[in-house]
Amino acid sequence: MSLKRLSISIATAAILALGVAACGGEETTTVTAPATDTSSSGGDSGGGSGETVSIVASVPPTDHGWLGAISKNAQAAADQYDDVDFQLLEAADSDSQAQQIEQAISEEPDALVVLPQDGEALTPVAQKAEEAGIPVINVDRLFSEPDAATATILGDNYQIGVLAADYIAEELNCEGNVVEIQGLAGISVTDERSQGFTDELKKKCPDGGVEIIASQPGDFNPDTGLKVMENILTAEDQIDAVYTHDDDMAQGVVQAIRNAGREDEMFLTGVGGSQDAMDQIKEGGLYRATFLYNPNMAASAVNMARLIALGEGFPELVPPEVPRQVVVPAAVVTQDNVEDYEQYAFN
Amino acid sequence: MSALRSRFGALELQEYALAIVVVVLFVVGAILKPDSFPTWDNVRNMLTQASVVGVIAIGMTFVIATGGIDLSVGSVLAAAGVFGGVLVDPDGTTWMFILGAVGFATLLGTINATSIAFGRVVPFIATLAMFSIGKGLALLLNDKQPVGLLELNGGSFGDPAPFSLLWFGTGEILGIPVSVYVFLGVTIGGWIMLNRSRYGRHVVAVGGNREAARIAGVPVRRVIFSVYVLSGFLVGIATVLLCARLGSASPVSGNLYELDAIGAVVIGGTSLMGGRATIVGTFLGVLTFAIIFSLMTQLNLSTEVQQVTKGAIVLGAVLLQRPEARF
Repeated sequence: MSLKRLSISIATAAILALGVAACGGEETTTVTAPATDTSSSGGDSGGGSGETVSIVASVPPTDHGWLGAISKNAQAAADQYDDVDFQLLEAADSDSQAQQIEQAISEEPDALVVLPQDGEALTPVAQKAEEAGIPVINVDRLFSEPDAATATILGDNYQIGVLAADYIAEELNCEGNVVEIQGLAGISVTDERSQGFTDELKKKCPDGGVEIIASQPGDFNPDTGLKVMENILTAEDQIDAVYTHDDDMAQGVVQAIRNAGREDEMFLTGVGGSQDAMDQIKEGGLYRATFLYNPNMAASAVNMARLIALGEGFPELVPPEVPRQVVVPAAVVTQDNVEDYEQYAFN
Repeated sequence: MSALRSRFGALELQEYALAIVVVVLFVVGAILKPDSFPTWDNVRNMLTQASVVGVIAIGMTFVIATGGIDLSVGSVLAAAGVFGGVLVDPDGTTWMFILGAVGFATLLGTINATSIAFGRVVPFIATLAMFSIGKGLALLLNDKQPVGLLELNGGSFGDPAPFSLLWFGTGEILGIPVSVYVFLGVTIGGWIMLNRSRYGRHVVAVGGNREAARIAGVPVRRVIFSVYVLSGFLVGIATVLLCARLGSASPVSGNLYELDAIGAVVIGGTSLMGGRATIVGTFLGVLTFAIIFSLMTQLNLSTEVQQVTKGAIVLGAVLLQRPEARF
C-alpha cells in the first residue's frame, strides 16, 4: 500500500520534473517539492484526518486551587481537538498514581501526561511507559531520571523565590523584618521557593537589613497557615512583610493578621494566581502581590502530547521535534498589572 | 471496691504528672522566649488554638472510654464547614451556618453510631470509612472550593458584633476569647457528664467489661450509639470555632485533627482499651499539644526538629506516668 503510494509519488515527481525541465525552470527545487508534498499528504491520511490519538493524563488529588486549575486546563485543551481521545485520572497518593499509570500503560495510549505526586516515586513507572513506547510528558514536578519522559514542562519555583525577594526587598528598601510561610516541608517545590528567596535576598541586600525573622511551613493549607501565623504574630512585635508560598494558604495567613488587627503594619505576597488573591491585590492593602505559577502549563502539556502522538512538532519551534524541556517563567502580579493577568486566574 | 479506689488513685496521679509537664513546658517557654511567651496575649492565643481540637477531644474521650475510636473527626469537620458555608452562600445568617454545620456533623456522627451500634461494624473501620466519605463530601459540596464566610459579618474586621460568626472565633468577653468560654464550657459539661451522671458510669462500664455491663442492666448498644453522636455534635461545635476564626470554610481543613485529638486523650490517661477515662487529663493533654506547637513555632524550629521534639515530649509524658497506668 505505502510502497504503491511511494512509487506513484515518485512517478508523479518524475513526470512533473520532466515537464518542468522541459519548461527549463530550476529543476532541483521543483523535483523535491512535489515529492515531499505527496508523501506527507499520504502520512496525514494515516494519522491526522479521521484517526484519533488517545492521551491519558494522571494528576494528584485536585483538592487544592492550583491543582484544580491544572486538571481543568488539561481537560479544556483536550476538548479543543476533535482528534484527541482524552482521559483524566486523579490519584489519591503516589502508590495509587503508580497503579493508575500501570493500568494506563496496559491500555496502550498514544501519550501520557503525568504530574506526579512525587517525582522520584513515580520515575520507575514512567520509565516503564517510555520502554513500552508510550511517550510521557512530565508536568511541573520532575522525574528523577532523564529517560522517564520524552518532554517536560515545568514552572520555575526557584525564580518565584527570586522574584519575591526582589519585590519585597524593593518595597522595604532593604530594611525590615520578613516572615516566610512555606508550603509543605520536604518537597522540592517548597525547597526551591525558599532557596530562591533567601539566595536573592542576600544578593539584593548585600549589607543585610532585611531579616527573615521566622520561617515555618503552613502545609499549603489555610487552617495551618492561620495557626502558624497566629503564633508568629504573638512572638514578633514588628513584621514588615510576609512571603507566603501559596495563594490558598495565604488566605488563612491574611485572616490571622486581620484578626490581630495588624494589617496596617505589614504587607503580604502569595504564589499561584488565584482569583481571591487577584481580587485582593486589586483592592489594595495587605495583599500586595502574587507570583503567577501558570496552571496553563497543563494545557500546553496536552498540546505537546498531541503533537508527539501525531508525530508532528510545533511549526515555529524546532519542527518536527517537540522541545525536551519547556520552563514556564513566573510573573509578578501587582495592582499595576493585575488586569492583564486576571484572565489566567483560577479559583 | 479497693481495686476501684486504686484505679482512681492512678488516674489522679496521671493527671498530676501531666499538669507538671504543662507547667514545665510553660516555664521552658518563659525562659527561652521571655518577651513573648509568658504573656497574656500568648496564653490567650494558645487557649484559642487549643479550643478547636479541645472540643473534639472531649467527645473523643467518651468514644475511647467505651473502647471505641473515631478516626473521622477531621474530615467530618471539613465536610460540616463546607456544608454550612454552602447553606449561607450567598445569603444567610450566622445561625443558619451554625445550625447547618452542627447539624451536618451530628448527622455524620449518627451514621457512624448506627453502623457501629446496630450494624456491628468495628469502630476503627466504620469511622475510617467516614474519614474517607467526609473528605470526599467536603470536596464535592462546593466543587473543591473554599466558601468565604466574611459576608456573615458584613465583610468587616476589627471588633465583630456579638453573636456574628467571627465573634465566636475572635470576639472576647471580659478579655477572654469566646471560643475559650466554649471550650471550658464543653470541658466542664463533659466532666459532669462523665463523673457525676449515671450516663458517665454507663460509658465507663461499657468500656470496662461489656458483658458485665449488659448483665448489670446497662443499655450497652444505646450507650455506644450515643458516644458517636456526641462526638459528631462536638465536631460540629469545633467546626464553628475554626471557621469563625478562618473567615471561610475550607475543604482541606481538619487535616490530621484526629491524631491530635486521640493523642491528647491518650496522654491525658484515658485508656485506649476503654473502661478508664479522664476529662481533666484530656484537657491537660490538649494544653500540652497547644503549648508545644506555640513554643516550637515561636522558636522558629524547623519542621523535622519539631516532629522529633513533639514525639519525644509525648513519649516522655506517657513514661512519666505510673507504670500500671500505662496499659
